[in-house]
Amino acid sequence: MPFSLDEDQLDCLQELINVAMGQASDQLARYLDTFVFLKVPNIELVNAQEFSKSLTSNNQSTAVVSQGFFGYEGIRGEALLVYQHKDSNHIADLLGYDPDELSDEEQLIDISSILTTTFLNVFASQIENQLSYNAPKLLTSEQDSMSEYLDHLSFSWDIALKVNITYQVTDYSFNCDMILLIPESAIIDIKTVIDRILEAL
Amino acid sequence: MSGLEAYCGEITDKLNCGILLLDVDFKLVMWNQFLEVHANKKLTEISGQSIFSIFPELPQRWFERKVASVVQLGTPSFCSWEQRHHLFELPHTRPITTGSEFMAQNCTFSPIKKNNITEYICILIEDVTDVCYYQSMLKKAMNDLALSNRIDGLTQIFNRKHWEDCLAQEFARAHRYDHKLSLIMFDLDHFKLLNDNYGHQGGDQVLIELAKNVTSMLRLGDVFGRYGGEEFAIILPETDINGASELAGRLQKSINQANIVFQKNCIKTSVSIGVAELDKTDNHYESLISKADVALYKAKSSGRNQFCVSE
Repeated sequence: MPFSLDEDQLDCLQELINVAMGQASDQLARYLDTFVFLKVPNIELVNAQEFSKSLTSNNQSTAVVSQGFFGYEGIRGEALLVYQHKDSNHIADLLGYDPDELSDEEQLIDISSILTTTFLNVFASQIENQLSYNAPKLLTSEQDSMSEYLDHLSFSWDIALKVNITYQVTDYSFNCDMILLIPESAIIDIKTVIDRILEAL
Repeated sequence: MSGLEAYCGEITDKLNCGILLLDVDFKLVMWNQFLEVHANKKLTEISGQSIFSIFPELPQRWFERKVASVVQLGTPSFCSWEQRHHLFELPHTRPITTGSEFMAQNCTFSPIKKNNITEYICILIEDVTDVCYYQSMLKKAMNDLALSNRIDGLTQIFNRKHWEDCLAQEFARAHRYDHKLSLIMFDLDHFKLLNDNYGHQGGDQVLIELAKNVTSMLRLGDVFGRYGGEEFAIILPETDINGASELAGRLQKSINQANIVFQKNCIKTSVSIGVAELDKTDNHYESLISKADVALYKAKSSGRNQFCVSE
């Protein structure tokens, strides 16, 4: 299996993510002025079809915001922010905006971009990289368009490394999942980076 | 490399998008030629001024909070035309063909850091007026297409397929929540004779007028569709057999009294109507259709111009 990570590689990636989560949570708490809790991540290899099914089998009210990222050494992927309920009044409050100043959609996109880029920026600095980001995009919550979208993700893929982190903002009883998808070709590149870090230990 | 850096200014001036640099106090540090031209202000005269006095249209509180996230978190932030058509009131090159006075924009706010501290905020402004225009045309075409997919071309009421989809939904709802649901199916009497006497255009005219007449007598939630050639059907949610029969009686009378004028001829028509109500034995919406259909044929065989209720 060229794409699977061995135990050391997995531990190392887990550790990098844990550290990034800690720092990101700290930065977010300061910016949002509330406690942001990131749950222990779940890392696994998924195939496109199963993933597409697992995402679309959730209830229909789910909203998903997608944002692509890319950096040096072939590191790239797509972050999906998945919301179970659209409690958007809370989001405006959380962001420090007046709800009249921006639409529900813009609130979702804004909070998604903040959660994604804050985490990934810290993660990138852990692996001495720098990431750029596409503009985040709200995917409609209808099932058909969702699975259609997943079929045409910005990279074509059969297998991806999936990292799932749940964010909890307790003061605002606000929850969402960040799903990072790293496509096949980039898995090889991230393994190279991990191996280099392991050797330097 | 140092030799080439001299060209950077020239290159940014050639870009077909705006580049604007702010300090953390919202004062303009520089912008490229694209903005100088579109805002029609000279950088030398306004650099150092607050962005809010240069562009008074900016939503200040929102803008300040947006920039705060960039400065504090050191991450980029985005603003898309899809949520906010434009931030800066700039003219664009298609004021005639597009509805908007101002350029549709995608804006990207990026931190410019020194020693990991954000010193400046770079705002990239892309002109997406064309994208916005074509997207709105596409949306309109899709809506028109979706509508024409549901509508019968001649009578402008729902076509058979959409009507049946609606029935399936109403059936499921009534079944689940134990609500009332009735169905009316009716057929224009002696339609073949009408066509023979007045030609197909005359027949068409009768169908059009009939659909208009019936539509005017329905409630908001009723779903009226053309089931086949001269056969029509109405879904009546939250209606029992008495309500449906009452409506069937009024329809029959109104249609029979109507005078349809075609090429100076006055055409008289009538309909035969079948009425049925959902009951617990109906496990599928088709059984409701066949009950109404049986009643309709009973009305026909009993001499037409009347309604029959399913037993």
